Amino acid sequence: MGIEQVLFWSAVVLYGLSAFGYIFGLISKTEKLFLVGLVAAIAGFLPHTASIAVRWSSGANPFITISESLSLGVWVSVLLALLVQLANRRVRVVGVLVLPVAFILLGWAGTLRTAAAPELVPALQSGWLWVHIVGASVGFSSVLIAAALGLIFLLKQKRQGGLYDRLPSPQAIDDLSYRFVVAGFTMYGVMIVSGAFWANQVKGTFWNWDPVEVWSLVSWLVYGIYLHLRITFGWRGQRLAVYALLAMMVMIVSYWGIPFGVETFHSGFRIEH
Amino acid sequence: MHEAYSSLVSPKLAIALLVGVLACCVAGVTFLRARAGQVIFSTLWFNALLVLLAVSSAAAFFSRTWKRKLTLVSAGMILFHLSFAAMLGGIVCNRLFFFDGVLRLTEGETLPNGRVESYDRIDKGRFFDFAWLRGETTLVRMHRNYRVDGENKQAAYELAVSDGDALLHRIIYVTQHLDFDGVRYFSQKEGYSVLLVMSDREGRELYGAHVPLQSLKQTDGKYLYASGTAEGLTPFPFPPPPEQPRAGVLLGYRPSTVAERAGDVSFEVWSVGPHGEPGAERTGTVPVGFRFDAGDFTFVPKEIRYWVGMNVRYDPGLSVILASLCLGLVGMVMTFVGRVRQGARRRAA
Ligand code: HEM
Repeated sequence: MGIEQVLFWSAVVLYGLSAFGYIFGLISKTEKLFLVGLVAAIAGFLPHTASIAVRWSSGANPFITISESLSLGVWVSVLLALLVQLANRRVRVVGVLVLPVAFILLGWAGTLRTAAAPELVPALQSGWLWVHIVGASVGFSSVLIAAALGLIFLLKQKRQGGLYDRLPSPQAIDDLSYRFVVAGFTMYGVMIVSGAFWANQVKGTFWNWDPVEVWSLVSWLVYGIYLHLRITFGWRGQRLAVYALLAMMVMIVSYWGIPFGVETFHSGFRIEH
Repeated sequence: MHEAYSSLVSPKLAIALLVGVLACCVAGVTFLRARAGQVIFSTLWFNALLVLLAVSSAAAFFSRTWKRKLTLVSAGMILFHLSFAAMLGGIVCNRLFFFDGVLRLTEGETLPNGRVESYDRIDKGRFFDFAWLRGETTLVRMHRNYRVDGENKQAAYELAVSDGDALLHRIIYVTQHLDFDGVRYFSQKEGYSVLLVMSDREGRELYGAHVPLQSLKQTDGKYLYASGTAEGLTPFPFPPPPEQPRAGVLLGYRPSTVAERAGDVSFEVWSVGPHGEPGAERTGTVPVGFRFDAGDFTFVPKEIRYWVGMNVRYDPGLSVILASLCLGLVGMVMTFVGRVRQGARRRAA
């Protein structure tokens, strides 16, 4: 096993430990287990970062294949979750959804790993690639945090005592979740718009209704509907929290679940010759 | 009239339309898949749905948010919804006036841009006029493994486009197109063609032509370059009509692994007599530049050139579409910043 593999799988194991800490901390209302969750998350984040850095320093672009894309999405999510926890200690529990998801997605990424391609195919040699990747990964992390806050909202409704009393008010959680949805929706917009500019650069068309494009439109519309339910129909709290959780699953399926397998514009624009 | 207007701006319609478009997208990518373009995305009703979405989202804003106090949030939302409408306006305009064709040229060849016959395939808007495609296009050369700043662009086409005194000489590759007077050229696909010369027994050249070859992927993943179509190998008459064909020829080309434009050419030739009666049949392989004896006459694959297929596009709505995409993003960011500031203010209070 190469050094990169060792780093990668250490991160998976530590994220698993962290997920365990958060989940059982929440169930048993034990603050100590939360600390285990937080420390393990940080401890996993370091080798995870290093594994990406090692791949990058070999001269390859480490954000192209499905496995690399999952790894980046998880990396940004864990980073964002850690930042949220540092900024507001009262919502430290966001880890309870983020780290199990991180563990599962990174483990899945591990089964799909391939050697880094030595050189980008010509169609990917474009500045838009970077805007696109940042939009996608930050957008995903934002809605994942929003869904985690939705989950916390639902839990707080049902339970009381100990840790639950130290959480922010339901209204504050709801409001924070909403703001992460707006952020995610915006970043997803960045991804779609940069994708359109990119397609225009390469093929002269900005939108082709190819499966990857339609799937990303699907998750964008799902969040557009969320925003309208909230703003124009006044939905709040429980219903939106459930919606945010379901929407996050749609997001994972529509981003990594299906489209990566199909052969489209996104699988490298093979040029016949 | 009033009722029609109020239902147009109703938030219920907005949600219904959003859900409707969402449902179409999901159905398209899950059940219909390859047929989705035909059954949904390019149909009149689906595009009408999109237009209705844009109109109603703009109308909703003129009727509701427009009258409100202008804050960062509402300004952002106005910008977002208006850009949504502007974008669809751009798309409709483009649909009516666009041109999209595949221009195929062999190295050294020149074709007029404004002639239907120059294109392999054409798609155009109802009000597009060929007179808008002025001048002519020459493929100067195809460059393989073309490098820019150390990056390998693989295939690059050196083009010269001219119209009267105006001349543009450029190299295009996958992320770099050429823009001549609003008409854009994109690299798309390329292949080999063989300059095939037929001579009689005395060595007099009778006829020569460039024969474009198809690339056919073999089961082992390698490519065979041969005469025919994407479906398989087919012989072609030589000389081609309207000349009197003297033979049916099946050509194959195996590129050399060391030198560009070199390699071996394989022949299968069926001669045809002056009155169309079948003659001798010969097969064999010769290196590029050498003579193949077909019995009644000889063939020389004189040289290998590349042919390229370029996308030639005219999209008059494009700048509106791209600009409104950007404005829409700016609107979203404004709304987001406004919301965060509202939240901070609420918490401070
Ligand atoms: C049928 C078309 C649409 C209509 C009629 C419509 C209507 C509205 C209305 C009335 C509002 C709230 C204004 C207010 O009362 O303060 C709103 C907000 C918004 N709409 Fe739409 N809309 C439409 C399409 C869309 C689409 C397609 C999207 C994107 C998916 C979208 C995204 C938004 C966003 C982001 C907001 C602001 C949410 C916020 O304040 O954070 N809208 N829309």
